[in-house]
Amino acid sequence: MPTHEKILLKNMDQPGYTGSLKDYEAVGGYQALRRVMKELAPADLIDIVKQSGLRGRGGAGFPTGVKWSFIPKDYTGPKYLCCNADESEPGTFKDRQLMERDPHQVLEGIAIACQAIGAETAYIYIRGEFRLGAKILEHAIDEARQARYLGENVLSSGVPIQVYVHAGAGAYICGEETALLESLEGKRGMPRVKPPFPATHGLYQKPTVVNNVETLANLPHIVTRGADWFASIGSPPKSTGTRIFCLSGHVKQPGNYEVPMGITFRELIYEHAGGMRGEKPLKAFIPGGASASFLTEAHLDVKLDFESVAQAGSMLGSGGVTVMEEGTSMVWAALRLMEFFYHESCGKCTPCREGSSWLVQVLQRIVDRRGRMEDLQVLADLCQNIVGRTVCAFGDAEIAPIVGTLQYWRNEYEDLIRESTAISTTSKELPVLALNS
Amino acid sequence: MAESNNQDLVTLTVDGMTTSVPQGTLVIEAARQVGVMIPHFCYHPKLTPDANCRMCLVEIEKLPRLQTSCSTKVAEGMVVKSNVPHVDEARKSVLEFILANHPLDCPVCDQGGRCDLQDFSHQYTPTTSRFTELKRVFPKEYFSPLIETQMNRCVQCMRCVRYCDQVMDVKALAPSGRGTLTEIKHFSAHELDCEFCGGCVQICPVGAITSRLSMYDFRPWMLKRTDTICTYCGDGCHITIQKKQDELIEVNSTQGVGRNNGDLCARGFFGYHASVHPDRIMHPLIKQQDGRFAQATWEEALELVAEKFQGIKTAFGGNAFGGLVTSRCTNEELYLFQKFMRGVLGSNRVDSSARFGHVNGTLPLLSVQGTHRWTATFEDIVDADALLLIGTNITETNPITGLKVKQAVKQGHAILVTMESLLPARGTISNITLLATHHLPVRPDHYHIAIVGLIKSVLDNGLVDPGLETRAPEFFRAIKAAIDSTSWAHIEEVSGVSREVFSQSAHAFSSSTRGMIIVGQGVLRSPRGAEMVTNLLDFLILTGRHGQPGCGLCPLAEENNDQGAIEMGATAEFLPGPIAIGHHDTRQALSKLWEVDLPQEPASSLMEMFRDAQAGQVKAMYIVGENPVESLPQTGKIKEALESLEFLVCQELFLTETAQLADVVLPACSYVEKDGTFTNTEGMVQPVRQAIDPIGESRPDWEIFSALSVVMDQPMEYGEARDIFKEIRSVIPGYGLVGPVATRPTPKVDVVQQYLQEGFAHGLATRYVCTQDQPASDTPFLLASTQSLFHSGKFSTRSKGLLQIQSSGAIMLNPSDAKKLGIASGDSVCVSNAHGAVTTIARVLNRIPPDVACFPEHFDQDIRCLFELHIDKESHVPYSKLTWVRLERVEKGDV
Ligand SMILES: Cc1cc2nc3c(=O)[nH]c(=O)nc-3n(C[C@H](O)[C@H](O)[C@H](O)COP(=O)(O)O)c2cc1C
Ligand code: SF4
Ligand code: SF4
Ligand code: SF4
Ligand code: FES
Repeated sequence: MPTHEKILLKNMDQPGYTGSLKDYEAVGGYQALRRVMKELAPADLIDIVKQSGLRGRGGAGFPTGVKWSFIPKDYTGPKYLCCNADESEPGTFKDRQLMERDPHQVLEGIAIACQAIGAETAYIYIRGEFRLGAKILEHAIDEARQARYLGENVLSSGVPIQVYVHAGAGAYICGEETALLESLEGKRGMPRVKPPFPATHGLYQKPTVVNNVETLANLPHIVTRGADWFASIGSPPKSTGTRIFCLSGHVKQPGNYEVPMGITFRELIYEHAGGMRGEKPLKAFIPGGASASFLTEAHLDVKLDFESVAQAGSMLGSGGVTVMEEGTSMVWAALRLMEFFYHESCGKCTPCREGSSWLVQVLQRIVDRRGRMEDLQVLADLCQNIVGRTVCAFGDAEIAPIVGTLQYWRNEYEDLIRESTAISTTSKELPVLALNS
Repeated sequence: MAESNNQDLVTLTVDGMTTSVPQGTLVIEAARQVGVMIPHFCYHPKLTPDANCRMCLVEIEKLPRLQTSCSTKVAEGMVVKSNVPHVDEARKSVLEFILANHPLDCPVCDQGGRCDLQDFSHQYTPTTSRFTELKRVFPKEYFSPLIETQMNRCVQCMRCVRYCDQVMDVKALAPSGRGTLTEIKHFSAHELDCEFCGGCVQICPVGAITSRLSMYDFRPWMLKRTDTICTYCGDGCHITIQKKQDELIEVNSTQGVGRNNGDLCARGFFGYHASVHPDRIMHPLIKQQDGRFAQATWEEALELVAEKFQGIKTAFGGNAFGGLVTSRCTNEELYLFQKFMRGVLGSNRVDSSARFGHVNGTLPLLSVQGTHRWTATFEDIVDADALLLIGTNITETNPITGLKVKQAVKQGHAILVTMESLLPARGTISNITLLATHHLPVRPDHYHIAIVGLIKSVLDNGLVDPGLETRAPEFFRAIKAAIDSTSWAHIEEVSGVSREVFSQSAHAFSSSTRGMIIVGQGVLRSPRGAEMVTNLLDFLILTGRHGQPGCGLCPLAEENNDQGAIEMGATAEFLPGPIAIGHHDTRQALSKLWEVDLPQEPASSLMEMFRDAQAGQVKAMYIVGENPVESLPQTGKIKEALESLEFLVCQELFLTETAQLADVVLPACSYVEKDGTFTNTEGMVQPVRQAIDPIGESRPDWEIFSALSVVMDQPMEYGEARDIFKEIRSVIPGYGLVGPVATRPTPKVDVVQQYLQEGFAHGLATRYVCTQDQPASDTPFLLASTQSLFHSGKFSTRSKGLLQIQSSGAIMLNPSDAKKLGIASGDSVCVSNAHGAVTTIARVLNRIPPDVACFPEHFDQDIRCLFELHIDKESHVPYSKLTWVRLERVEKGDV
């Protein structure tokens, strides 16, 4: 099995590493922050991150240094950093590990980002169910404050950096950056219409950067080891660094794997995750969280970088790779995902709100052997009528499972529907009428 | 000027039409300007865009996806297409989605026929649906006595929620649940507790929120509309009365119309049934020997009145008549009433309900700055950068003026200084002090000394207009001397407000460029009202704000036509204009026009009339729409005065306590049954239109005056109200109907000059002297008679809608006082003093200040007896809003 140097999971892989401040300092923790506070002007820091090629790990893959540079330069009022720790994308569980096992790595990244954009306050918006992670972070913040890595006067630089943990209340949509801001402000978590963007009108309408946990955790390493080092890892120039891929589904060893971007899915699944758990061959996989469209065994040699996965018709997204073996009902899988999206649609936009409930009912009916051929056209049309017409990217995401399964496994839908016509005369369910009869 | 305007314009093309609109315009509005109506649900020009319904999608060249025209601002060279096939497709699909879960119960929906969803569906969608799944169904839930929700119909556009928050600042509504299960609910576990402005009902694009007052009673196409003006306060809101045959169905108002821009309060929206209350007097009544009333014909009644009036006039002269008219009447009626009193009966004893307080605002304005109207408009309130509200919880008395204040503070970030007895406590609605940037908590009897404190801060902190001392040295020195005679120690001790707080407020106000003072009933209807207003004008002069654009002092009119009553000459001191009663040229002109000699006797106001009635000099009174027996305390002996008359005529809607004393009662029409004009608090003259036929045999007041004059052989004949208005315009050139915005007079330079030179000295010996009314130890509570948002005078207590929100009075007191006395909400409490004892129900509220108890005036019939009557020496205003009482618990309540 090829081995790759880990960056983010390196510390915690060491035996006996507890993630305490002492342990973190022992492996060189907070040296990057010292350098940032002493030697690096914010503009230079932003340049380093730009040169490193670091792209957001939250889903959209936006270049981090570029995002920071949108913060108005001459703005003198309060600015905010929000660490997106809402991690609710099905099949994604990397941020949780980063926070629970090496919290100071995240905090150091947060402090560095604050210094880059001139924010004195950072909020970690953490998924409500992550009680343990929140407790660990709170404790780590206390430690860091006492050691003056955070607090009123960071490392005697005169600069204050305060970090607060805020727990979400159980809505997936609050991972979307503007819904996150609304929720943080104490309002109902619903995405805002953009523009204006958070960089100018963010938290409390002030300039704000929202970055994912993993994105931020990379910063200390980039500062310490340099932009060139980081840019040489992975699949330069567009996909640099490592990513933590969360393997789940029918693999032998589910879990988090940090590998450089650019290795193939085949390597990830068969070498790192130990291959398929039974004897059955792989049928399908989701490459980047529930919002990413299914790929098939034909895509196993696609490289795990932003461009290659996009070219294959899906997206690298949040790094959640869910693998399904031969024999999995893809219609059922689509239904399962659609149920999630139906449950989580915030309800703001008509197409997403009504579309998700309509889609889920049609899928359920087909799975229940009560479908009809016209439903396939309805499914395709509804997806078409949702995509690109909503406030946030959730609308585009929720149709992914259906579009993908219709593309590769249309026959499974048709088989189920044929079974339904066969049993419809004896079914006790209400008859399903033909459309436009 | 023209050039700078051009720079702010952006040129774009919508469906091939090129247009230029101001920068920042939304695409949907730019399209409207070229006649392209883009269908929409969630967009509303009053609200910030939420872009949630996705109905308004358009193509904008160079942008990848379809864009929501309701949230996209125009840009130079933008090319917008709304008539291309895929935009059409997008609309159809949004409608298909909305209709998926919509119940399609149009036949039983009160919105059916005027529903945006229905209309767009007609336009865009096929008659069959592809949706064959189960529809989402919400269980029916009780919402409130007046507002009904039917959440299956909701399109989740959040207009209601945003309106309640952004416009009303009430925040009573919120979405609950997620996705398709999102419902609009109110926050509390108990029923909806809000201001009941009806705004959510009005703004809902579908039938998801409707009024219960007329539920299922009509179909929109049966309704016939009448645009008129609300009668419940001086704001003068535009209302549309909708009727089915002669049945009142609903009231609403239209965005973009009227001074209220379509916004209403509970009184305007739900209060319309007062006019059709079954107790309305249906026929003229004549009192019999046995003291009972008998129904009479108009001929009999009018002839009797004419004969009696003639007799008294011949025997005692015109001065034996007194006349009192309500400011709820139209301008035409007020004008005609004073013309009747002065011209036909020959009496200078004419007064109206403007006497109860509004004159305290007008008289100082006239003597200091020569105007009888505000020198500012509602628009100026919105644009103000500092507002000083004194003695008014404006949301309760003048809700729409209150909305302008809220807009100035919430959107324009104006400084808001409130000097009010209510405390800014959370948990109760309609409390303007919650929005204040600076709050001066002042007991209702301490406004005078608090105003002195404010002025003293201006003087002590060097906040005086720099040029003033050289421009008006005597004025400056005299005011300073008068103020200096009261020490800070005294001011702090009496008002309970610290010197710092005064000085912060004074600083805040003086730092403004557009500063306005809004004065409410707490000042205008309390002892020394006119003095306080004059002192506040001094404050404006001292801070250099007087006469500046967008600045001014604005007394709030409580009744809908208080302002008109003064302008029509329906108060003792004024002829129409208002011109001073003694003004020679005006008297001559009126004599000529009316073809009579005007009476020479000195004018006498309301309280003087009652006094003279008791002394036997006033023999007959003509009381129109007023009920002094009930509205003034028994200690005023009004009843005795009226009983001593030889002849009393009352013209009324209802058989009030006063009307019961009358010899003849003439049934009059309410505002919904007549034409005319009202002049609102900011001086806007607006048309009132008849919506329904007169109830019973009632007739508009003006018609009765006119008919009576004919019978008395001194005819004032008019075919319709408009003819009277023409005469008013000949007396007051240019009066009224000038346009959509009130004309704003500026202070008269010569009058101000005169005031600064010597006018200020008038009354100066007393008007800054701080006196203090000490409570006796056995009556420690100051009882204030206050106004409620849900009622207006007593008229509204006949409205079945408003009674469902508030049907009785309660004595309101502060939790700490309540605790001391062992009183809880719902307990019965005895309120007493030397005048008597009354038992009523207690309500404990955080916003009531300590040592104060409040009772709503609308339900004060029993508690009135505890109040005393004070008469202002100068303005002759009768004050009876405050008294000292003690409180004791009688019985535990059930709550
Ligand atoms: C529906 C939805 C859910 C999202 N959930 C998350 C999440 O749980 N965690 C996260 O980091 N980003 C999430 N995002 C992406 C964020 O909006 C945002 O792009 C990201 O936090 C930016 O950080 P980055 O630039 O570091 O990736 C979500 C986006 C959408 C549309
Ligand atoms: S797309 Fe869906 S989740 Fe996103 S704002 Fe609209 S309704 Fe909410
Ligand atoms: S109740 Fe009416 S206004 Fe409120 S969200 Fe629903 S449809 Fe919109
Ligand atoms: S009572 Fe006053 S604020 Fe309310 S609707 Fe009538 S005029 Fe408007
Ligand atoms: S009107 Fe534009 S999205 Fe609703």
